[in-house]
Amino acid sequence: MGSVRMTQITALVLKIVAAGYRYGFDVMEACDLPSGTAYPALRRLERAGLLKSRWEKAAEAYADGRPRRRTYELTTAGLDALPEAERKLAEVRRLLGDLPPASTGKA
Amino acid sequence: MDAPSVWIHLVSALVPGDIRSEWVEEWDGELAANGGSMKHAWGAVADAWYLRTEGLTMDAMMRSMRMAIRGLVRKPFFTALAGVTLAVGIGANTAIFTVVDGVLINPLPFPEAHRLVSYNHEAPGLGVNVPLVPHSQAMYLHYLENANALEAFAVYSDDNVNLVTDGDPQQLAGMAVTQEYFDVMGIQPFLGRAWIEGEDRPGAEPVVILGYSLWEQSFGKDRSVIGRLVEMDGVQRRVIGVMPEGYAVFEEELWIPRVIDAETANAGALGLIGVGRLSEGATVESAQVEMQNLLLRFSEENPEVLPPGVLEQAGFAADVKPLKDLFVQDVRQILWVLLGTVGIVLLIACANVANLFLVRAESRQREQAVRAAMGASRLDMLREYLTESVTLAVGSGLLGLGLAAVGVQGLLKLAPAGLPQALDIGIDGSVLAFTAVISIVSGVLFGIIPVLGYGRRDLSSALKDGGRTSTGGRERLRARSGLVVAQVALALVLLVGSGLMLRSFIALRSVDPGFDPAGLMTFRFALPRAEYEERSRVLDFHRQLSDRLAAVPGVRQVGMTSALPLTGAKNAGPMEPAERPFPEGELGPIVEQNRITPGYFETMSIPIVDGRGLEWTDQGDEFRGVVISETLARAFWPDQSAVGRMIRRQRGENSWEVVGVAGNVRFDDVQEEPLALAYFPVLSGTAESPNASYSMDVVVSVGGDPLDAIQGAREAVRAVDPRLPLINPRTVETIVAESMASTSFTVLLLGIAAGIALLLGTVGIYGVIAYIVSRRTQEIGVRMALGAPASTVLRGVLGQGMRLTAFGLAIGLLGSWGISRALASLLYGVTATDPLTFASTAGLLALVSLLATWIPARRAARIDPVEALRSE
Repeated sequence: MGSVRMTQITALVLKIVAAGYRYGFDVMEACDLPSGTAYPALRRLERAGLLKSRWEKAAEAYADGRPRRRTYELTTAGLDALPEAERKLAEVRRLLGDLPPASTGKA
Repeated sequence: MDAPSVWIHLVSALVPGDIRSEWVEEWDGELAANGGSMKHAWGAVADAWYLRTEGLTMDAMMRSMRMAIRGLVRKPFFTALAGVTLAVGIGANTAIFTVVDGVLINPLPFPEAHRLVSYNHEAPGLGVNVPLVPHSQAMYLHYLENANALEAFAVYSDDNVNLVTDGDPQQLAGMAVTQEYFDVMGIQPFLGRAWIEGEDRPGAEPVVILGYSLWEQSFGKDRSVIGRLVEMDGVQRRVIGVMPEGYAVFEEELWIPRVIDAETANAGALGLIGVGRLSEGATVESAQVEMQNLLLRFSEENPEVLPPGVLEQAGFAADVKPLKDLFVQDVRQILWVLLGTVGIVLLIACANVANLFLVRAESRQREQAVRAAMGASRLDMLREYLTESVTLAVGSGLLGLGLAAVGVQGLLKLAPAGLPQALDIGIDGSVLAFTAVISIVSGVLFGIIPVLGYGRRDLSSALKDGGRTSTGGRERLRARSGLVVAQVALALVLLVGSGLMLRSFIALRSVDPGFDPAGLMTFRFALPRAEYEERSRVLDFHRQLSDRLAAVPGVRQVGMTSALPLTGAKNAGPMEPAERPFPEGELGPIVEQNRITPGYFETMSIPIVDGRGLEWTDQGDEFRGVVISETLARAFWPDQSAVGRMIRRQRGENSWEVVGVAGNVRFDDVQEEPLALAYFPVLSGTAESPNASYSMDVVVSVGGDPLDAIQGAREAVRAVDPRLPLINPRTVETIVAESMASTSFTVLLLGIAAGIALLLGTVGIYGVIAYIVSRRTQEIGVRMALGAPASTVLRGVLGQGMRLTAFGLAIGLLGSWGISRALASLLYGVTATDPLTFASTAGLLALVSLLATWIPARRAARIDPVEALRSE
């Protein structure tokens, strides 16, 4: 068990999982990130103990004729970390709201 | 399989083995649930790469280290054994490296220390064993005026002074230095001032600069001490400065001006050691070239002092070298030999620990095989093993550091020829770095060997049968046998080295120094010249002290000499027979010139082989009798008696009549052939050119323990002059032992190293043979059931052990042959490739390993066939 640096991406992913998206690809699509970004964020959060994963029942999956899927959900520590993730995301929104016009470099 | 699925399987090669199958399943599951387009699958590379490299983050390393520690703690016996073995190896290396670092690598603790040089001469042609030939007053003045390569130049000589404060009189180590001395060293007094111009010339007021500890102990750190008068050797000296804390080159406690008298400069003997600070841009080489030219000019301008012919004959030449070389020349070689020695010990320790790890790998074989079958790669296992071994090694490194801190103190106490205090020896940054590097390198070294023992086949077969008959076992056996061969070879190198040193030591001990040190106590005194200006008082003092000492209970004989053999004292000069002087410009043999009181020869048990010794009636202004050593007598009068002949100092005015010839004495050190010696009376010469000895070594022969006589001696001295301290009382046997200190020190340390090597090597052989026997239990059982006699089994196992030993011995002998040369200059009475030493150490090692093989071999011979077969 380790700690995780709360970046904008991890905050976003944590928030999406908290919102009830359970499968890796669903999370990925919900936050509109490429899989190469969303998955490492999931791994980091799981490593840090904010998320836990489990496998859905094999029988259910096989009945549908597909492999079983892995689901992610928040741990207690993940719930505790949620306010921090909110703050991080609020910060992003504030930054975007106050964004000054980019300099052209020719002023 | 569709394209995304193939892709996922390809990429999965990146994912660490233990989570690979789950990873594939997860991606398969997501792709299947989402229509499985390649658009989604590309990102799997980033995910896989993240998982592959995740182990390399600091966080993950800490995690695996914690796991390793947990694993080690679970096997306390194994961990303790391996850890302590390594800690001893690392500690020994750290201790020796600390000294090497302080003595050979670190610069002297003076500003711009690289510019400090020893500025003296050499004279190999004299045949006298001295590290350098110093300056006369005239030479000093000549170089001081003309040397441009030096920014500052000074000479010094030891000048111990008697200081009388409230308590007992004490003798202080002092240094007499010329004006620019503190500019050379680059350090000024922190209180008061250094010399001013002219303070080292005759007629100046006597002054003194105090060392910090003297200021602290005798003056209570009183800052008002500056300007105060203190009495030293009967002279009132004004205190003008105090040096900063910790400043001292040797162990000097005070500095007084070395007075140079330009008028009488030429008369001075060569007793002033030169130190200089190179000018900007000058190098040791350029200073050497300049000094050599200046020396030649000095010889041309002063042919009566230093004739050019003598210059040539003696090989007298300029000798400029880094100042540090002056301090460390004796110990340099010993230190490198010791560093090599402990390096070998560490290698042996690593081999032993690698063996332990191999044994453990054995017991974890099934577990590893299961993990491998589940996809753990060799790389994963390597990482795990290395984390464990490096963690253990780092722990041992810390423990070793502690051992080293203690060891260094012990080393410095044992070390021969007190190292200068200026060398700052201690555990510093570079020592820590050294320890860290050798710990990690050892950890990698012994961690990697067990892993290399794994072939891929090995793992699958291990799963099948639990490893008992697997081929991998044979691979590991080969690894272990290789380790044993290496251990035996390395142990032999150390045994040969210590054997050679031991033989040198025995040879040195059996050398007859020419006197008998048993039952002798000695101390030194130094009469203050100011109070003993009248020479008859000097002679009176010697007589009275001799009488008082003779009356001390237990004392049998009393004698005094200006310089006791083997103490490093030196007062030598060329002499010639008065009847046939050497031609102008040719140098006579260099003769060590002592002054003695009657009783000296008897006390030291030095035989008089011809004529007689000296009597009290021989001591006086007008007496011109001298006793010479056999070597000198034979050099001058090879076929006749020397008694009655006249000799003199070369080009000297006075001649002395040889009244007796004394047996030879080893004077400089025990190794060298006896020097030519001449023994003069305490007081001699003429009224115009008087000679008296103010400082003498007193030797007292005692019935019982020589040290019991110290108190009586102290009282006897006090009775004659209450202000005189007793300097350095000790036994003469101590002096003889100290003169062999560098040999005995090396013998001791090499002996310890060889002992450790022998022990570890034996354990190694025992371990391997015991392992072989345990693996072959069933096979042996079958053979015995089929009728093989126990003796055949015994011989077979012994043979296996001895084959390994023989391999190791052969390699070790070759190695020793190459390496023992490094010891050559430390040896005495034995060559570096002495066949007897080689043969006997190899024999010893063979015997010990035979014993180590015998125990498991006998166990094999006692195997009960029925039991062995039943265990299948």
